[in-house]
Amino acid sequence: MAASEHAAPSPATPGWLVVVGQELRDLWVGGRGLLLTLAFSVLLSLIAYLVATNTDLNFLEQREAVGLVLQVTIAVGSLLALLAAADAVSGERERGTLENLLLTPVSRLELGVGKLLAALSLWFAALAVAVPYVWYLGRGVDVVDEALAAGIVVGTLLAVFLASLGLILSLFAASNRISLALGLFILLALYAPTQLPTSARRGWAGDLLLRINPLTAGEHYVGRILVDAHSWSEDLSWLVSPVLGAVLFAAAAIALSGRFIRLPGGFAR
Amino acid sequence: MRRAAVSAVVAVALLGAGSAQAAVPDVSVEVDRTHVSAELGQDFSFRSTIRNRGSSPAAGLVAHLNVLSLRPGLYVDPEDWSEDRTRYLAPIPAGGSTAVTWTVTAVNSGALGVYVAVLPSSGAGRPITGPTLRADIAERKTIDAGGIVPLALGVPALLGALAVGVRLRRR
Repeated sequence: MAASEHAAPSPATPGWLVVVGQELRDLWVGGRGLLLTLAFSVLLSLIAYLVATNTDLNFLEQREAVGLVLQVTIAVGSLLALLAAADAVSGERERGTLENLLLTPVSRLELGVGKLLAALSLWFAALAVAVPYVWYLGRGVDVVDEALAAGIVVGTLLAVFLASLGLILSLFAASNRISLALGLFILLALYAPTQLPTSARRGWAGDLLLRINPLTAGEHYVGRILVDAHSWSEDLSWLVSPVLGAVLFAAAAIALSGRFIRLPGGFAR
Repeated sequence: MRRAAVSAVVAVALLGAGSAQAAVPDVSVEVDRTHVSAELGQDFSFRSTIRNRGSSPAAGLVAHLNVLSLRPGLYVDPEDWSEDRTRYLAPIPAGGSTAVTWTVTAVNSGALGVYVAVLPSSGAGRPITGPTLRADIAERKTIDAGGIVPLALGVPALLGALAVGVRLRRR
C-alpha cells in the first residue's frame, strides 16, 4: 500500500476506514485475493465431487458431508486471513513502502485496524465461495442454514484469532519470510491435535488439549452441531477458547500495532 | 428383540493350564438380540450380559467385541466399527452378572456377524463367546451426485473469469 494513495482522505472519513479501503483494493483489484479464492474454490470442488460421487465416501451422511466442507472452509479461510495479516507490516517493510505509509496522517493504531479488517475479507470471501457447495451437499436435510450460521460464527472467531496472530507476527518479524513461515508453523501446530489417535484424545488431558486450542475447539463445536445435530447451546463450553482467542488476540494485535509498527523489524529499539 | 441364551459355558477346571493359577471362572455370555438391520453409516447398540455361573467371584475378565463378514469378498476392519472394543470387567460375584453395552457404527454393507468374547486376563483357558448378532447392513446413497459437475466446474470458472476480467481492466 503506497503512502500517496492515502494522501487525501476526506476529513470526515476515519483513518482506519481509508486504510481498509486501500488494502481491499490492493488485495482484490490487485488480483491476489481473487487468485487465492480461485485456488480455494478448486479445492472445494474436488472435495464436493469426491464426496458426491465416490462410492467409499458416499455412505457419509449428508450432515457429515456438509460438516466436512464447512470445516475445510473454516480451516482454509482462516489460513488465508492469517497469511494476509502476516504480510501486513513485514511485507510493507520488505517492499520499502512502510516508511511512506508511516508519514501519512493515519495513526499506527488505525493502520493496524485497517490491515486486520482487510485480511479478514479473505475469510468472508472463502465463506461466500463455500455457500453453493454447502447448499448442494446439504439440500433436502434442512442443514444449510445451520451450517452457514455455524460457519459465520465459528469461522469468524477463528479467522479473527488467526489474522490477529498473523498481524502480531508481522509486527515483530525481521523479514516477511519469517513472518509467513512462523504463521504457518503455528497454524500447523494448532491443527496437530486433530491428528491424534482417538485414544489419545480421551481423558481429561486430551479433552483439555482440544478445548484450550481455539482451532480444535471451534471445529469440534461445528461438528457437534452439524454432524451430531446438537443444539447450539448444548456444547457452548467448546466456544470459550475461540471467543477468548479472538477477543484477546485482536485486542493485543491492535494495541501492539499502535506501538510497534516501526521501520526496523525484529525487536530492535 | 428376543433374548438369546448363551451356548458357551466354561468348564473351568478343564481349561486351567495346570498352573497354580486360580480357576478360570465359569461364565456365560448373552446378548439382548441376535439380529439387527441398519443402513450404512448408522449406529446401533446392543447389550451383552456376562453371567458368573460359578460359586466364587469371577475377577480379571476381559470382554472383547469382534465383527466379521459372513460372506467372502468383503474386508472388515473391526476398529472402524467400534472405537471401544475391549472392556476390562469389574469382579462379578458368584451367581451375579454384569452388562456391557456396545455401540457400533455400520461401516460396510452386507451380512455381518458381531460377537462378544470373554477371556480371563491371565491368558489361561479358552475365550467364551456369546451368540452371533447378525447385522444386515443396507447400502445407502445419501447424496445425489447429479449436478455436481456443473457446480464443481462452474464456481472456479466464474472466479477465474472474474480474475481475468479484473486483470484486463487494470491494464
